[in-house]
Amino acid sequence: MTDLRYVGHPVSRDDGIEKVSGVARYTHDLSVPGMLHAAVLTSPHASARILSIDKSAAEALPGVRVVLTGDCLCYRLGLYMQDKCILARDVVRYQGEAVVAVAADTLDIAREACRLVRVEYELLEPVLDPGDALKPDAPLVHPDLGDYDHMQGVFFPQAKTNIAHHQKIRKGDFDAAYAGSDVTLEASFTNPPVQHVPMETHATIAHVTAERRVEIWTSSQSPYTVRHLMSVAFDIPHANIRVHVPYVGGGFGGKAGLGLEPLAFVLSREAGRPVKVVATREEEFNTLPSRQGLHSTIQIGTTSDGKLTALKATYTWDAGAYADYGVNIGRAAAYSGGGPYSIDNCWIDSRVVYTNKIFGTAFRGFGHLEILWGIERAMDQMAHKLGMDPAAFRRMNLLKEGDVTITGEAFTAGHGSPVACLDAAAEAIDWDTPSAEPEAPHLVRGKGIAVLHKAPAMPTYTSCAAVIKLDEDGAADVLVSGVDYGQGTYTVLRQIAAEELKIPIEKSHVTWECDTAFSPYDWQTVASRFAYMGGNAVIEAAADCIRQLKSVAGQALDVSPDELRCEDGRVFVQGDPDRGFDYSELALGYSFPNGNSIGGPIIGHGRFIATGLTHLNPDTGQGLPAQYWTYGAHGVEIEIDTETGEIEILKIATAIDAGKVLNPKLAVGQVVGGVLQGLGSALWEGFRFDADGRFLNPSFVDYKIPTAKDVPRETEQILLEYPQPDGPYGARGIAEHPMISVPSAIGNALHDALGIEFNDLPLSYERILLAILESGERA
Amino acid sequence: MLGSFDYVRARTAAEASTALAERPDAAVLAGGTDLLVDARSGVRCPSLLVDIKGIGELGELVCGDDGVSIGAAVPLNRVIEHATVRGQLPGLAAAAESIATYQLRNRATLVGNICNASPAADMAPILLALGAEVIAVGGSGERAIPIAEFFIGVKRNTLDAGEIATRVAIRISSKVRTVALKQQRIRGHDLAVVNVAGAYLPEADRLTLAIGSCAPTPTLLDPMMVGSASPGDLAAEALDQAGGAICPIDDVRSSAAYRSAVLPVLLRRAIEGLLSGKGGA
Amino acid sequence: MHEIQLTINGQIERALVPAGMTLLELLRERLYLTGTKEGCGIGECGACTVLLDGAPVTSCLVLAAECDGANIRTIEGELVNGQLSDLQRAFIEAGAIQCGFCTPGMIMSARALLERNPDPSDEEIIEAIAGNLCRCTGYEAIVQAIRMAAERRSERGAAGSDRSPAPDGLATGGSDD
Repeated sequence: MTDLRYVGHPVSRDDGIEKVSGVARYTHDLSVPGMLHAAVLTSPHASARILSIDKSAAEALPGVRVVLTGDCLCYRLGLYMQDKCILARDVVRYQGEAVVAVAADTLDIAREACRLVRVEYELLEPVLDPGDALKPDAPLVHPDLGDYDHMQGVFFPQAKTNIAHHQKIRKGDFDAAYAGSDVTLEASFTNPPVQHVPMETHATIAHVTAERRVEIWTSSQSPYTVRHLMSVAFDIPHANIRVHVPYVGGGFGGKAGLGLEPLAFVLSREAGRPVKVVATREEEFNTLPSRQGLHSTIQIGTTSDGKLTALKATYTWDAGAYADYGVNIGRAAAYSGGGPYSIDNCWIDSRVVYTNKIFGTAFRGFGHLEILWGIERAMDQMAHKLGMDPAAFRRMNLLKEGDVTITGEAFTAGHGSPVACLDAAAEAIDWDTPSAEPEAPHLVRGKGIAVLHKAPAMPTYTSCAAVIKLDEDGAADVLVSGVDYGQGTYTVLRQIAAEELKIPIEKSHVTWECDTAFSPYDWQTVASRFAYMGGNAVIEAAADCIRQLKSVAGQALDVSPDELRCEDGRVFVQGDPDRGFDYSELALGYSFPNGNSIGGPIIGHGRFIATGLTHLNPDTGQGLPAQYWTYGAHGVEIEIDTETGEIEILKIATAIDAGKVLNPKLAVGQVVGGVLQGLGSALWEGFRFDADGRFLNPSFVDYKIPTAKDVPRETEQILLEYPQPDGPYGARGIAEHPMISVPSAIGNALHDALGIEFNDLPLSYERILLAILESGERA
Repeated sequence: MLGSFDYVRARTAAEASTALAERPDAAVLAGGTDLLVDARSGVRCPSLLVDIKGIGELGELVCGDDGVSIGAAVPLNRVIEHATVRGQLPGLAAAAESIATYQLRNRATLVGNICNASPAADMAPILLALGAEVIAVGGSGERAIPIAEFFIGVKRNTLDAGEIATRVAIRISSKVRTVALKQQRIRGHDLAVVNVAGAYLPEADRLTLAIGSCAPTPTLLDPMMVGSASPGDLAAEALDQAGGAICPIDDVRSSAAYRSAVLPVLLRRAIEGLLSGKGGA
Repeated sequence: MHEIQLTINGQIERALVPAGMTLLELLRERLYLTGTKEGCGIGECGACTVLLDGAPVTSCLVLAAECDGANIRTIEGELVNGQLSDLQRAFIEAGAIQCGFCTPGMIMSARALLERNPDPSDEEIIEAIAGNLCRCTGYEAIVQAIRMAAERRSERGAAGSDRSPAPDGLATGGSDD
């Protein structure tokens, strides 16, 4: 590859100026003339029948325009599983579920109106633990599950149960192989639900006009998904729904699907005016979705030399009250569910189970942090049992060329190198050297490693399109509807466009706001696929522009386009650079000296669709679910205060195989940020519920996310480049991956330090100290 | 809006106290970092907020030979950044610095922290250990309330209706050593899981400890002589003497088991700090 | 209702405000200064940080009525005549911005830090921004940006202006580093 001018360079992000000057406007900041403000009343109970709702006092309050309840909103929405109403109908299924919504002249009036509504409930018995939800006599969260529409052939809800989906992997003969293993291990693990905590809570403005057109501004990762699901749910042609996504203050998966849009829509439709709905931080925690909890049991069998022979995983996902994204997470977890290892005999059951708690949705990692907590802890435990070094044990078993994954996919050189990631992370923490002596006797140190993998979890038809139009001055505007909500993809696409169009980067722009009226389709900004698919689409769109430039230039110069080349914003005859034109001379067509004009506005388009993916066999899970895999590893060194349980991360080194680093500054930013978010899941984060299923910590007072004081003493980011053959410049996605397996590495390090197995998250100071005391170990 | 209350800016302490006496559901507004959060959530519904930040004498922080006086309107950052306070009472500065965030400490006040009377109030243990007094002004004039009598229950203090705390007075020997320690769930800002403080007077060999977050109110322990006892023994003895007065609970933040395990550690470390002469947390 | 007069980014503003209105609401809803954000409403996240008489505070817990006579600075006052400040430039160069929602509050905390402590250590930088939550960046680039801005100031001399022009004015930045 020739030297790249922009791709691979640390170009500063495009939107920096707007963001540092307070000019960037998020949905929180927008208002539309005549706009009303909404508030919701939520359920105090985890499971109850709604007996009556008296909204008369609320409706009588001056300034109240609309009071809506679920009984007049008979819609069920969802992308994969249509199980969710806009407002609770007949029953409430989790404490925090929205029951009543008010639109009023001011937010204070709307909130006051909610306080005036009287709801009468009949308490029902909630089911709070997914294990209990699987029992034959468990209360059913969705008695009508069998009637729900869902993505056929992909998801399999089980009527009259709490099982929204069951994904299976059956490869080889687990029972025989396990029975025949020299060494076996079984362990169970738990992950609590956690929240994305975007700094900008969910916000949506909807404006339904008389002709049943609706314009929506929303803090979302997926404008086209919003449009499509609204079209299906409300029976409105797609073209009549216009979705704008302005700047978005973080998403992490929480804004991947439908959020407040349906509610804003029905309020606006009823009120005849635009309505803005903004979640309070408490609602963001307690009403809007989370990351599912997970209970897992892992069984591993190996030979006495440490070769994996058999793996069984039982994943019981605590989906909460609704399972739209949950079912896809359950599916992805299964096909990834053995970790990045070569396993000939594999049996996985991944069940997505309803409970009467806040429901889960997509979250950075899409189930992989949760499953790899169990898998990577189990791998370490097996290594100890074998008396093997955990790195050596992994090295022996990580996927290599010639191996086959648990769904029957052949591992090739183009997949990248899990082993190189492991080696890089291990070396970065001096894995072979024991920790230095801590400075005080009550302090203990340890080291741990863990690997990670993930492929984009997406439908087999996932696609992306890009349009590039040239400006009068030869600059390029790139239109896409993937969303840059901080990860920096727009900057990367600018770089790619400049590189491919052969123009200076200053002349390459990505139009910031997505607008489904103008921006071409993108599936969703999730799954670490936007740079990969968007990049490929932009490359194709740029090639289309080049073709058009050469065509009109060729006509103007009376040469074949094959004789032309493009460089520095000019198209000219190869070997005769003065015979040519600046792009600005051709961008809107070309006029001959006599006035005759040819060509026209140069607009290129490109697209990319997932290729080669297949559905998974419902009985065996065999198939090709992965467009590409991204591998990685963490190495961590920790220090524990054995008297208080406080844990400090001395160093965490993260190696990710990016294929090609499109922008090192942005890539490092993703890794640093993702690792810290992973640290949050590892040490501090988790929802707490009381015995009645009430959410106990829906605010920053008792739900703690890392602050600047919680940053590890040292971090290192290692980006490897084993190219992805069909990625733009060889790149594959890395956005989610830095978070995955951070808890696993720390759990492994804790065992190294203390000799104690921690199988439950979070690894709070409290959990650590109480375990130390229980095991009688003191420094 | 945070509520439908009225607001008045008092010019004198007498004015403030009169306004409070007239309306039983009026509340003092100093930093507002507890009060306004409670108003927003509806936990408290005051009909009137009496802003005391304009009352000159309440903004005074005075260090003299015989002690320190911290006015009710003095924000925590001023206490922390005061050179004499840092030098003479490092434990007081440390307790203040452990509270919340820099932004909140520009508003939250030391006096407000103890008037809020959370069992976990971070200023309480050190003020208890120092034997501070809360000076209050009300209908019947001014009085000095020993801090040990100030906390009467969870989020309840002994001030009468219409009485306002105007300052905290700490009479100290210049040789006193102070330490304050706090156990949190995270290094970032957090409420206390357990907090302790101690004051030690070397010439009298008198050690005074106080514990927070382990009882309905912050709790002062009986002073002890150190003699030749080890810090660990002293901590154990202190807890032994306190007996049932120290009764940590399970709550959303932590468990009785963890609190009970960490408490002796913090006490021992506080004593170590005091006896080693470092005098600071 | 309370009549207040306050200075915001150097401009005198008068307003009639209910007692319950916060400074944050006044800024965002009355004055359309939407650069300051609401992240939690209870002072825990720092997204609403502004400078009140030079001190960084969480404006969600300050009543507008308390600000009669006050001098308020927000992120909108950081940019002067279209020129980015050292801090703003440093944030961009260091890659200290991702979604950007915490950025205004973060810059205001940093601005206040550099005014009271022009040569902060890393620990002091961290203490100053510990009350500003960021979910995207992992904080390292933010600390680096503040350090860079402080170093550049001290290179130019403490008396020098903290405003300097961006290399290409307001045009979108080019490749740098």
